[in-house]
Amino acid sequence: MAVRVAPDPASTIVSRGRFSSWLATVDHKRIGIMYILTSLFFFVAGGIIALLMRSQLARPNEHVFTRDTYDQMFTMHGTTMIFLVVVPVFAGLANYLVPLMIGARDMAFPRLNALSYWFYLLGGIVLYASWFSGGGAARAGWYSYPPLSEHAFEPGKGQDLWILAIHLTTISSILGAINFIVTIHNLRAPGMSWMRLPLFVWSIYVYSVLILIALTELAGALTLLLLDRKAGTHFFLPSKGGSAVLYQHMFWFFGHPEVYIMVLPAFGILSEVIPVFSRKPIFGYKAIAFSTVAIGFYSMLVWAHHMFSVGLPTGLNIFFMLSSMTIAVPTGIKIFNWIATTWRGNVILDTAMLFALGAVGVFTIGGLSGIFLAAFPFDWQVTDTYFVVAHMHYVLFGGSAFALFAAFYYWWPKMFGRFLDERLGKVNFWLYFIGINLTFFPQHFLGLLGMPRRVWTYNHHGWWAAWNLVSTIGAFVMAFGTLVFLINVVRTTRVGRRAGHDPWVADTLEWYTTSPPPAYNFDKVPYVTSARPLRDLRRRLQEGSVHA
Amino acid sequence: MGHQGLARLAPRRRNATPGKIVRRTGALVFVALLGLVLAHVALAGDPAGLSPRGPDSPQAAKIEGIYWLLIAITGGIFVLVEGALILFVFRFRNRGRSRTLEGPEIHGATRLELIWTAIPVVILAAIVAFVLVKLPGINSADSAKAAGPPLIVKVEGRQFYWNFLYPNGVIQVERMRVPANRDVKLLINSEDVDHSWWIPALQGKFDAIPGKTNHLWFRADRRGTFEGQCGEFCGYEHPHMVAAVQAVPSSDFQSWYDREARAQASGTSDLGKMTFDGACATCHGFHAQGAFGPDLRGNPILQQPAAIKTLLQNGRNKMPAVGKGWSSRQMNALLAYVKRFAGSSGGG
Ligand code: HEC
Ligand code: HEM
Ligand SMILES: [Cu+2]
Ligand SMILES: [Cu+2]
Repeated sequence: MAVRVAPDPASTIVSRGRFSSWLATVDHKRIGIMYILTSLFFFVAGGIIALLMRSQLARPNEHVFTRDTYDQMFTMHGTTMIFLVVVPVFAGLANYLVPLMIGARDMAFPRLNALSYWFYLLGGIVLYASWFSGGGAARAGWYSYPPLSEHAFEPGKGQDLWILAIHLTTISSILGAINFIVTIHNLRAPGMSWMRLPLFVWSIYVYSVLILIALTELAGALTLLLLDRKAGTHFFLPSKGGSAVLYQHMFWFFGHPEVYIMVLPAFGILSEVIPVFSRKPIFGYKAIAFSTVAIGFYSMLVWAHHMFSVGLPTGLNIFFMLSSMTIAVPTGIKIFNWIATTWRGNVILDTAMLFALGAVGVFTIGGLSGIFLAAFPFDWQVTDTYFVVAHMHYVLFGGSAFALFAAFYYWWPKMFGRFLDERLGKVNFWLYFIGINLTFFPQHFLGLLGMPRRVWTYNHHGWWAAWNLVSTIGAFVMAFGTLVFLINVVRTTRVGRRAGHDPWVADTLEWYTTSPPPAYNFDKVPYVTSARPLRDLRRRLQEGSVHA
Repeated sequence: MGHQGLARLAPRRRNATPGKIVRRTGALVFVALLGLVLAHVALAGDPAGLSPRGPDSPQAAKIEGIYWLLIAITGGIFVLVEGALILFVFRFRNRGRSRTLEGPEIHGATRLELIWTAIPVVILAAIVAFVLVKLPGINSADSAKAAGPPLIVKVEGRQFYWNFLYPNGVIQVERMRVPANRDVKLLINSEDVDHSWWIPALQGKFDAIPGKTNHLWFRADRRGTFEGQCGEFCGYEHPHMVAAVQAVPSSDFQSWYDREARAQASGTSDLGKMTFDGACATCHGFHAQGAFGPDLRGNPILQQPAAIKTLLQNGRNKMPAVGKGWSSRQMNALLAYVKRFAGSSGGG
């Protein structure tokens, strides 16, 4: 069933063409790889900042950094991880995979696609250059609440550059989202109805719609903030008749959909990887597809659960508690369906699968702590403490990043023609798995003990100090995991085992072409008759050979 | 190219070894940590953070009730979900079967989907109901058992200290004195950026937001000092923006309250020192010896009330406008207090 003979991987994707051909490329695969490598770079940068912060917090009254540097670091860490890592890396994966999965030759608008990558890179450069601006980088946190982020309290250029950087990445995401939506609507292979769409593509569709709604709204909020800072308006300045709470509503109306922008594609990845390594169809395809849409919809109705302590009317608090609880239901449905997929399967515990199962297990903890936060009187105790830091990292690192690593180990052979090393991969997984729990589980206790987030030091000993030390140790365990991953990447570009076009015996169309695929992806796309076109093809070929 | 499936089976088995080693080390670390936790909890009363602080008020007690309900329910869900995941993966793992061998073609089960949609709905509805039952006693006074009418205190959040204004004109900084067993209502506001008032043993957080006044009720169940710190990032001294509520017997409170009102009115109280220790010492040190802010000892500006007043009301560079909107009572008390540093030389 091999469609074409795989060319030597070494002579393809990575080295094919000169450097300049990468700069000018409009090929979705190359753009996807550029996105992924750039976000990996920022992942390492954001991770290093995190390690430095954890070093500062390892012991009470530690003095690795000044308070000023620390505030810049948590702002940059959060902004990096959200705007320069998780959101764009999914754009990168989707760029690479969506056309292949739906049997298209490229995205609908290849040039626009290149433009969105370059906007993203520019945004990243602006953000990191802001360290060197007068007054240093922004230091008001990734949600930059006014009045603290207003000119009176934050006169440095860093805050303006922060707004500019977010604007740039926002434009990038919006252009990308338009492109994905048009591509998914118009370029699907013959026979690929919506109910035969790979679940990853479903998730990218909802991801794109949420980006269109939420990020445009964020751009509005930040523009008002910029006007306040630069043009003397006072939208968010209560001393001049503005409203500080208005910004919070505007921010979180973006902010909660944003968390699903960061996690739905991860769910999509799990829905691709788990069935392949369970050697079974996904359990409840429709339930998973519809729950993706339901989560996308509800995610726009829960924003004020980030604002329970702002003093909203009780009726509103109750509404947002109800809506937040409601969104846990479709999330639960997904988890149950993934677990059911492994039932009576032939579960192959390769690294990709370990990461996928790990993501399910760890994300569950984050989902459960989310229920605590939605019960708003309890949220009054732990909001803005380390409890919330634990929650968001269980979902963001445990959910999004673990799924991302599952994606790397799973699709790497397709992208580069070589496997990532399984042995290093497993070390990578276990270091991450142990590290995330060591780092973040104790932070629940810290929150309950009364440790607010965004503090550069503390003056408490006993358990408070002990949990912080454990947390810092865990961060270094994860850092080793990242190191192992990077070694794996570097090593396998030279000595990695060659992968055929379909090394995992998978279900979807990207495995129908060579690894890596040729510039035009497919000679010919088969007619799609189910959600598992490649398996259908395999069976048809087998039956053919039986009759022959 | 053909499938690599069967060829990959052998190396995969060998590959599992380093993973196992890491896993075992990890398990060991976990067991050691768990042992540590249990040993410590058993030996000392020091709270490890396994539940919220306190509770030392009916409000905090009700919040803690919600916490334990959630622990019980999510604990159950956790065991079921993670248990099923681990069980299935273990039970149906490959175990040397061919990598291409497929499991049965099960595409789903509508009845199961309905069941695992309905059960969470019921559980979540139960949680919501429980929260709504507890809510009135958290949100407002639990007046039935309170002795006397509520005490109303105005709380002002500022970079980087708390100012408390009592109905009879008494001003306190950082440490709020209240009568035990009596309802207290706080009116929380900010003069500059967002802060958040939080004394974990007594109540949840409520934000201090400029242009908005929030209400919070609590009643300290016992005498004692309850500590907390600002819960909303407010700038570089956010970690040092601490607060304490000191609950004293009602009669002690009343006599202190009247005495303090007279002393502050006549300018003989320690309001100046309290203001300096709360509002200035974070940056200038308790003896004005300097820390984040400059050493003030021997600084001639301390002799010029008008100049200091301007500085405190407007701020300069990294020094925030700590005294913006102060009553003349508080300003004068501070000005009188800082004079004492004018003599002591900075070099010493
Ligand atoms: C957040 C930290 C901070 C706090 C709180 C603070 N200061 Fe300052 N203070 C500074 C800094 C920084 C400077 C130096 C300002 C500059 O660069 O001009 C300063 C300068 C001063 C000066 C001027 C010294 C000079 O030679 O001009 C005086 C007087 C002073 N502070 C008094 C006070 C008093 C009184 C308070 C409390 C009511 C206070 N400060 C609270 C940080 C602080
Ligand atoms: C079961 C579903 C979930 C529920 C019920 C839930 C609920 C909540 C609530 C109520 C908060 C506010 C906490 C506070 O400010 O005190 C919060 C914070 C947060 N959540 Fe979730 N959440 C869920 C899933 C997710 C997912 C999937 C993500 C992203 C991948 C996510 C990312 C975050 C982040 C980043 C914050 C921190 C916001 C901040 O900086 O304060 N959550 N969540
Ligand atoms: Cu949210
Ligand atoms: Cu603060």
